Amino acid sequence: MASDTNALKVAVRRVTETQYRHIVADVFGPEIKINARFEPEKREDGLLAIGTAQLSLTSSGFEQYFALASSISEQALSEKQREKLVGCKPADPTKADDACARQFIEHYGQKLFRRPLTESETQARLKSAGVGAKQANDFYMGLRLALTSMLVAPEFLFRVETAEPDPANPKQYRLDAYTKASRISFLLWDSAPDDELLTAARTGAIHTDASLKQQLTRMLAAPRYEQGARAFFTDMLQLDGFDNLVKDPAIYPKFNQSVSDSAKEETLKSVIDLLVTKKRDYRELFSSNDTFINRPLASVYNVPFLSAGDWVPYTFPQSSERSGILTQVSFLSLFAHPGTSSPTRRGIKVHEIFMCTPTPDPPADVDFSKVQDSKAGTIRGRLLDHMQNTGCTACHRRSDPPGLALEHFDGLGQLRTTENGAPIDVSADLEGVKLVGAQGLAKYLHDAPKVPECLVRNVFAYGIGRKTGIKDEDYLADQTKAFVSNGYHVPDLMLQVASSPEFFKVAVPAGARSALSAETTTPPVQTAQSSSQSPKN
Amino acid sequence: MSLKFDRRSILRGMLSGSAVYMGLPALDVFLNGNGTAFADGAKLPVRFGTYFWGLGLTDTPTGGTRWVPTKVGAGYEIMPELQPLASLKDKVSVFSGFRAIGDGRANLVHWTGHASILTGIAPAVSTRFDGPTLDTKVADAIGGSTRFRSIDVDASVSRKPVSYSTRSGNTFGSPETTPLGLYTRLFGPGFQDPNSPNWKPDPSIMLRQSVLSAVKDQREALLANVGKADQVKLDQYFTSVREMENQLAVQLQKPDKCESCVVPAAPKEVARGASVDIVNANTKTMAKLLAMGLACNQSRVFTFVHTASSSETYIAGQSKIYHQITHDEPTDAKLGFQPETSKLAEQVMKGFGEFLTEMDAIKEGEGTLLDHMLVMGLSDTGYAKIHAIENIPMFFAGRAGGKHKAGQHIRGAGDPVTRVSLTAMQLAGAPVGEFGTGTMKTSRPISDVIA
Repeated sequence: MASDTNALKVAVRRVTETQYRHIVADVFGPEIKINARFEPEKREDGLLAIGTAQLSLTSSGFEQYFALASSISEQALSEKQREKLVGCKPADPTKADDACARQFIEHYGQKLFRRPLTESETQARLKSAGVGAKQANDFYMGLRLALTSMLVAPEFLFRVETAEPDPANPKQYRLDAYTKASRISFLLWDSAPDDELLTAARTGAIHTDASLKQQLTRMLAAPRYEQGARAFFTDMLQLDGFDNLVKDPAIYPKFNQSVSDSAKEETLKSVIDLLVTKKRDYRELFSSNDTFINRPLASVYNVPFLSAGDWVPYTFPQSSERSGILTQVSFLSLFAHPGTSSPTRRGIKVHEIFMCTPTPDPPADVDFSKVQDSKAGTIRGRLLDHMQNTGCTACHRRSDPPGLALEHFDGLGQLRTTENGAPIDVSADLEGVKLVGAQGLAKYLHDAPKVPECLVRNVFAYGIGRKTGIKDEDYLADQTKAFVSNGYHVPDLMLQVASSPEFFKVAVPAGARSALSAETTTPPVQTAQSSSQSPKN
Repeated sequence: MSLKFDRRSILRGMLSGSAVYMGLPALDVFLNGNGTAFADGAKLPVRFGTYFWGLGLTDTPTGGTRWVPTKVGAGYEIMPELQPLASLKDKVSVFSGFRAIGDGRANLVHWTGHASILTGIAPAVSTRFDGPTLDTKVADAIGGSTRFRSIDVDASVSRKPVSYSTRSGNTFGSPETTPLGLYTRLFGPGFQDPNSPNWKPDPSIMLRQSVLSAVKDQREALLANVGKADQVKLDQYFTSVREMENQLAVQLQKPDKCESCVVPAAPKEVARGASVDIVNANTKTMAKLLAMGLACNQSRVFTFVHTASSSETYIAGQSKIYHQITHDEPTDAKLGFQPETSKLAEQVMKGFGEFLTEMDAIKEGEGTLLDHMLVMGLSDTGYAKIHAIENIPMFFAGRAGGKHKAGQHIRGAGDPVTRVSLTAMQLAGAPVGEFGTGTMKTSRPISDVIA
């Protein structure tokens, strides 16, 4: 808690756009409109959850949050809504009423800050409520101000993760109960803890394995888990790229905003159906041809759409050359250029997203003299030029093959077999494995040990909000083993990760004053990451 | 004018934003530049902004430059890629031959060049800058008395909103990316027409102020026992809160009359696309709005991105993007340069020309808005094919209220880019005497362009 002098803030992570939206909907109801431009998020080590955790707020971002907070308060406390939301009635609605205001502030403060407010936090809002009620002769105007001030507070806009001395081991820190509750809630629901979880934090029950497990099981079974899983896969699959995707209208006349929105939704629908609803083997992501399409997508996929409904299940036949997620419009169009496919970009993303192997930046002083302009023929020729160049070859030899295997799909994801009149060769050599086409690549990924490893790493890093380091390797290997032997089930993986002590391990941040020892610079528990990370930013 | 000048908050903003190169004499300069009335006859304020485009301009190490004039000093000749600037030539200075120097740090492609110009430091990694950008220093010096300390604009229609403005090196600006967004920010809720005859303070502003004081009350508790990196984040958060307070305080004051301010109509939604014709159209529309925002005293500082570094713009209907073309296209043996690349560079410079034309279209005092501005144009590379960070094209446009001796070509002969940066900050009125680190550290502005 903020007032506890022994408490240590181990991380301050900015709440993401979807988390913000989910919290507001969960606390005030889905009818609250959220119309604002959110601060840009940032991807590091493959995840927005890692990059955004390191960001602050710019002044224009704060302006947006400020306007948004006022709008949410106005809606939530409109004459229609206030009955439902405010649990008490003021003695006189034209005047301040501290008792009722306090009740409101404490109730919603706890939901928004994900912990009970300190007395001074409550007092600060009571003051706003008093000023507002007096100036406007309206008790509810006062509440609006109090609520707005909570919605723009750093304790709401950032996840302030806090540790306390561990009673079982006074030389060490442990995450406090509310921070634990938030970690699992943001992981599984992409939202703040509900009342039951907050109660488990208040009583301290969450510190026991049994209660933690019980909460996790309950949360995984709740409908909100779907929104949590969607948030995770949106981040991991980098579907946020659809917010700004553009294509050249002359080259891809079928592309428009509705195709863009539908492509993202298709992927989320099929991923959730496969991995959450049906609880299938994660690796089927690459092999399953079951998906969902709507009218705009049917046109891109060039298949008939006979339903009068919106979305219908659809299974691609073997002859479509499609296979799983890599051949959905989302992956193929996101990782391409506005007017052409891009084997390099697709290849880089296959490595990065599914195998957690990033490709280094190209060297600055590459000699491009061998690279010939190729208006004719296929893109493969141009890339082969890169491969003959010593400066390029190390990376392109690895990055390009998965993309070359996907070349039967153009920059929008439409099937084609020729480019500029020449047949497209989709054979590829990926780290010594010869494969042909999208289906060959899918098989490779299905069987690649790096693929489950990468998912485990992503789930863990997404939850704790930092990149993994050498000290996490043993843990991740164990988790991967368990994931594999349990049949590659994603919800089980999340349960398993979130119930492991490592998920709550405390890394004392550089520069923080530790209350546990005189030497403040030597943290008692530390991960590789926190020690290697430069504090300069 | 009765504008309250919150000196303390501005100073604090400066201190948290950067190492401060500011002695007391400089402080006087800075105070004089602030809170002064600009009514009839008084000096009009200088506005400052950066204008960024991706992929430099075309030249080859063996000669064949398409942009570097032969003549040095005043009266330089208009090279093919400078053509869009021809009509404003007397207000534009061209800087060639300056370089970013990493002192052993790798040239991070499409990153080191502009990071060096803007922060004075060759960055360690390609996701961050290692210091605050110069626009924030200028904003802290001259941006305190307007509603917005700075306005960030991105006209590029990129995959992600692009901004190269940062205080911490980590969190970058959150730019307006559409004309409507920019319009709403400048002229939407909260805008007060300086020429309105019946101005009254908006009572809801005081209510909003009380909201912010509740937030600030908790500052100390929040900053207790927090790590260094998190402290930087929270400091920036509270800086943003203070800027909001400043904004509200400005709104409680009756704005000065402002002859050149004509409130524009809301723009229509425009087609989204990354082709250079659309980006240029977007640039022109947003430049027009921004120019009026500056003329209406909503801000004195801005950053504008035409296209991102490693630009993905392209000629409509063609499959290859600009970035790819700069690398793949061979140098034409007869011409001595890359013809397709140069064609795109000309298109991209058209955007800059149109941007400046919009700034020059607003009459202000005896001259134009542009005469009271300093726009620093810059890019990420010199010769893009090899990611050169030598000879990165840079421009100063506008007369900075008479302080800029415009219309010259300055040849840098291998000097660090930071000399240009330092000069820009000084012309804009920022009290900065030294800029950059290592070999790029300099305290020598380019005196040839300072009147």
